[in-house]
Amino acid sequence: MQDLVDGALGRINSAATAADLEAVRVDVLGRKGVLSQLSKDMGKLTPDERVARGKFINAAKLALEGAWETLKNRFESEALAARLNSEWLDLTVPAPGVRPGALHPITQIQWEIEDLFRSLGFSVLDGPEVETEHHNFDALNIPQDHPARDMQDTFWLDAGGPLGRFLLRTHTSPVQVRGMEKLQLPLRMIAPGRVFRNESVDASHEHTFYQLEGMMIDKDVSVGNLIYFMKTLLGAIFKRDVTVRLRPGYFPFVEPGFELDIRCLICGGPGCPVCKQSGWVELLPCGLVNPHVLKMSGIDPTKWNGFAFGLGLTRLVMMRYAIDDIRWLQSSDLRFLRQFGQ
Amino acid sequence: MKFSYNWIREFVPGLEVDPHSLERLITMKTAECDGIAVSGELLKGAVLARVLEVENIEGQKNVKALVDAGPYGMKTVVCGAANCRAGIITAYVPLGIKTVSGIESDGMLAAADELDINRDHAGILELTADTVLPPVDHAIEIDNKSITHRPDLWGHHGMAREVAAITGHPLRDPADLSLLPPLGSPVQIEIEDFHLCPRYSALVFDNVTVQPSPLWLQARLTAAGLNTKNNIVDLSNYLMAELAQPTHAFDRAKLAGATIFARPAREGESIVALNDETYHLSPANLVIADASGPIAIAGVIGGRDSAISAVTTSIVFESANFNASSVRRTSSALKIRTDASMRFEKAQDPVNTLRALARALELLPILSPGIRLVGGLADNCAELKVPPTISLDLDWLARKLGRVLDPAEVRRILEALQFKVSDDFEVSVPTWRATKDIAMAEDLVEEVGRMIGYDSIEPQPPLVPCAPSFDPPEREFLRGIRRHYAAQGFTEVSNYSFISEEEAKRFGFAPEDHVRVLNPIAEGQELMRTSLLPGIHRNLVENAKHFEDFRLFEVGREIHLSNGEKPIERPHVVAAIYSRHDDGRAGLMELKRVSGGELRPAAAMAWEHPSRAAEVVKHGQVVGRVFELHPNLIDSGRAAVLYLDLTQLQQLGAAATRYQSVRRFPTSSFDLSVICPAREYAATLETAIRGFAGELAEAVEFVTDYQMPDARKSLSFRIVAGAADRTLAGAEVTAIRERIIEGLRGLHYELLV
Repeated sequence: MQDLVDGALGRINSAATAADLEAVRVDVLGRKGVLSQLSKDMGKLTPDERVARGKFINAAKLALEGAWETLKNRFESEALAARLNSEWLDLTVPAPGVRPGALHPITQIQWEIEDLFRSLGFSVLDGPEVETEHHNFDALNIPQDHPARDMQDTFWLDAGGPLGRFLLRTHTSPVQVRGMEKLQLPLRMIAPGRVFRNESVDASHEHTFYQLEGMMIDKDVSVGNLIYFMKTLLGAIFKRDVTVRLRPGYFPFVEPGFELDIRCLICGGPGCPVCKQSGWVELLPCGLVNPHVLKMSGIDPTKWNGFAFGLGLTRLVMMRYAIDDIRWLQSSDLRFLRQFGQ
Repeated sequence: MKFSYNWIREFVPGLEVDPHSLERLITMKTAECDGIAVSGELLKGAVLARVLEVENIEGQKNVKALVDAGPYGMKTVVCGAANCRAGIITAYVPLGIKTVSGIESDGMLAAADELDINRDHAGILELTADTVLPPVDHAIEIDNKSITHRPDLWGHHGMAREVAAITGHPLRDPADLSLLPPLGSPVQIEIEDFHLCPRYSALVFDNVTVQPSPLWLQARLTAAGLNTKNNIVDLSNYLMAELAQPTHAFDRAKLAGATIFARPAREGESIVALNDETYHLSPANLVIADASGPIAIAGVIGGRDSAISAVTTSIVFESANFNASSVRRTSSALKIRTDASMRFEKAQDPVNTLRALARALELLPILSPGIRLVGGLADNCAELKVPPTISLDLDWLARKLGRVLDPAEVRRILEALQFKVSDDFEVSVPTWRATKDIAMAEDLVEEVGRMIGYDSIEPQPPLVPCAPSFDPPEREFLRGIRRHYAAQGFTEVSNYSFISEEEAKRFGFAPEDHVRVLNPIAEGQELMRTSLLPGIHRNLVENAKHFEDFRLFEVGREIHLSNGEKPIERPHVVAAIYSRHDDGRAGLMELKRVSGGELRPAAAMAWEHPSRAAEVVKHGQVVGRVFELHPNLIDSGRAAVLYLDLTQLQQLGAAATRYQSVRRFPTSSFDLSVICPAREYAATLETAIRGFAGELAEAVEFVTDYQMPDARKSLSFRIVAGAADRTLAGAEVTAIRERIIEGLRGLHYELLV
């Protein structure tokens, strides 16, 4: 009997392939295999012999099954290793399919600044590109025949009615007026958008560009508040501490009006080509809202006042990405725009 | 406007600040400077010199001159001027020795333009022994936009007032009103409308000699950027540059009658102006006229026929004030801007007319020796407005600025700017600030603020109420649209809101259906876009030169006429997929996918591939189109385009999400293949199957299509059947299947079953 078992063990261990092993398993451990043969004459044995035979069979079964399983595991892991090895891939080839898109750099900066203002409790308003003369000029204290209209070369439109009523907005300031008409006081709002000036296009001038108008109306808003706010805002935009200065600037919709300069971020003050050696870069116009403007929008200037400012989004984009020609921004040229994919 | 540093210093005696520092002070306290330039740099070290001998240089236009250069001694100078001859006195500039025309030339003889005296370059200066050369000057250029509101800053004296206030120096007034004669002039002034011409003043002179002005005056005008002509015209410019008051001299011999009228032009009148242009006038234009007609366009330009000439001996010298809006309207209607109109449109001070005449009385005897005043002053004047008085509440002022203020400091600032301040801070506005500039207390905030310096104000965080901000829903919607397309591989482009007539026509849009730009800046920008397609078409063509495959999108507004009312702006998104080599199917299907809608076959527009155009339907509503661009519009490759109306899309909104219980009973499914003509729409069959299947069919899904050899095709669908409350019995599923097959056969379709 022991020979029989040893012979079976030898056949298992000598199997060369998984298929061999399976054939041996059927012969040895199957229904007609060696173990079955060992228990065939059990009925003829005495009870003591039966106990001894039982122990012998169990031991043989453990030994045979153990040998089979060891070998089976070996064949399986060898097979897996071979398959995995055959599945070698070059992952350095470019991924097929669609390449990522990109938002326009103006959109990206605009969203960034909108989010900043939203976090400060400002509403983000939109206004029409075609404006009435009233909203673009008169309601902002720039009546007809006012020389300040020269500051903003205007595209006038023929919209079917009498001429001279409609124009392309020259600034986002009309949205101030729309905001004051629409929102409850006190108010905090910004209005980003496309504006138009009738001037020839070159590397630093565009007739179509983007601004962001901001306004806060409350009680006892001071020049000190305006300075604080601008400093905080610009620090967040440029992601560093900025030094600002105000100097007089004339804009009919504010009084007093300012030009806000920031300490040159390139040279930090001593002077460089970017700041034309002055150490300062002119960044945005701002001021306390002119009482006439409040009055024209139905707000009592003896109770309320506020500040307003205008930020050139196009200018900011050019500063952020060191773009040297403004014409790229409206070029729709993918060689330019794809550089701004995230 | 350019300011002469020397001129400002004349009115601010004791001013020590150098030109560059002065420029910075003005920028920080008053108005923005655009730059600073030396005027007459070569005047440094220049002296009078007498030409002693002139010798020709063989084969050269230049001559060799021996000059007596006074303190520099005898010098040999090579000179190219035709008027370089022995005996003349000219200006010598010590520039060092250099070789010219093969000869060592030591220094140069100067023409007037080289010394910034005037713009004459015809020859070297010819002077007299008593000539004094003007000093070197600096021209400080102020940005005109920053003094739009300040009529007084359009003259040197006004800027000097600012400088005196900034530096704490006293201010000298060049106009001595005591020089003016009493009323009683040989000319009469008749003003038809005092609103249009609040004041007209004049003096009459005879024994006038028209000749060049002294060099110092010419140099001043040149530094201020003005031309020089003759003593009378130069004086007029000098007064304007000094006092901001435009004046004009008429040749009295050429005037008809002794009355000068300020009146609206009569219909049909015209005038030949000093610039030799003829202007046809209308009653909207105010003119100055004599008995025979217009002699000047009021506040804008004089007439040629009454201008000063070499033979003029008698002049009417006027100094007037005109309504700012009227001058501006006339100047823009006639398209003529002059130094005078630029000043009048800023609202000049009527008080100033007499100041200019007083200053003229002081200067004319110097410029035209022997000149004689004829009679007294002519002065016709509306009742002058009393400048306002403003109560200034110092607590309020401090709150506005956000800074504690010393009342004495506030008083000093206002008084330095020549406001009158009472003990309890009732502030009287000087006449030259009262025309348009200063009318309310807020205006004084600026005066005090800029003079104390805004850098003296501490930043203070505002105290604001804690309230959620109003956020228009379209903002987040439009953001979502942009994010969606960018995430699907589209790059955002940005086109102008303008298109050309040609582009409109190429797409079959009638030009008259567009809002038109009345004053387009360039050709090709005369219409407002009623569609984003012309722009995106241009982008496709241009980018196809650089890329074989690309995707782009734009979110922008269509602008439409609205029966003469305010034009309507409708936001749209256009997305396009370009491929140079494929058959165009993939792009269209991809756009269908990203559109999130269904496509319904539709008749193609002129710019669409006639067999590849469909409407985009969402929740049963048409929201846009998907199409392939017509091959006529693109040379190579194919472009699939998606165009959606975002207003409609936003109005559809996203249906509110509501939970539905997850199915507990299994479904059964089976496939059916239907043979149909090659151009049958899958959607038609799907709808038919859905109809026959009844309510137990949960889904009818397209699986695949197969082109048959006989030009027909086979479309396969999978039908999923189930019920919410039980597992369907096999017989029920078979019944559904039979119904569909029977139904389709009824419609004459063949089925592969």
